Amino acid sequence: MIEALFNQPNYLTAKKTLDAVALRQEAIANNLANLETPGYKRMDLAPQFEQELQRACASSDGQQIASLNPSLAQDANARAGSKDGNTVHLEEELMRMNQNAMTHALETQLVSGALAKMRLAITGHS
Amino acid sequence: MIQILTGIQNTSAALDAERTRLDVVSQNIANAHTTHDLDGKPYQRRVVVFENVLNNAINGSGNPDLPTMHVARIDRDPRGPIKVYDPTNPEADEKGMVAKPNINIHEEMADLISASRTFEANLAVVKNARSMAMQTLAMGRH
Repeated sequence: MIEALFNQPNYLTAKKTLDAVALRQEAIANNLANLETPGYKRMDLAPQFEQELQRACASSDGQQIASLNPSLAQDANARAGSKDGNTVHLEEELMRMNQNAMTHALETQLVSGALAKMRLAITGHS
Repeated sequence: MIQILTGIQNTSAALDAERTRLDVVSQNIANAHTTHDLDGKPYQRRVVVFENVLNNAINGSGNPDLPTMHVARIDRDPRGPIKVYDPTNPEADEKGMVAKPNINIHEEMADLISASRTFEANLAVVKNARSMAMQTLAMGRH
């Protein structure tokens, strides 16, 4: 009964995106840690996750959204900036980190908003 | 253990490694004119070598997809000493040449800047991870 409240597609999508953002933060932290490691190849979210999330959102099927599993992969499109083959670029990586932080702020607000609405419905005041 | 700040072990490992690199650069600059190292030869430039190890190989924590970086070793720069003509120096050979350390001060300064930039970038990661964790903890509050 109460589970239905937490199984709305919007809420599940926000949760899943938060998972992906946390994982991406880990990848970016690791990329910046390896800024000077020779031959290091940058990691990022596997590109198929975004497509799968879009498809799952379009279907509005809670089960399908909940079954998504974000994972990390080597960034195949990254180019080497130095002779040692390291594909991490400091500025690009910092931009991605900031972008990721903004996404995180947005998603936490969405989840908070969803919870506040539920509280409003239950108690009559927020 | 619960991971509140994600990916923070790698960042602290990198901060540690960059700190080592700054130490080595300052040692190189300090010894730019040392003609007698511990082995009796002119000081040789030291270089920090970074390497990656798989996460579960050390402690089983962290993301197994992401390797952790650390300082593999501090090695010597194989370039030979710089010969300078200075017959007044007691270290000079019969032709008046002194073997000085293979240190180029400009190279060291560039290295110093690059190490401190990387250090700053990793500090930015820590700040960012912290603010993300605070947002997560504030979720559902009104």
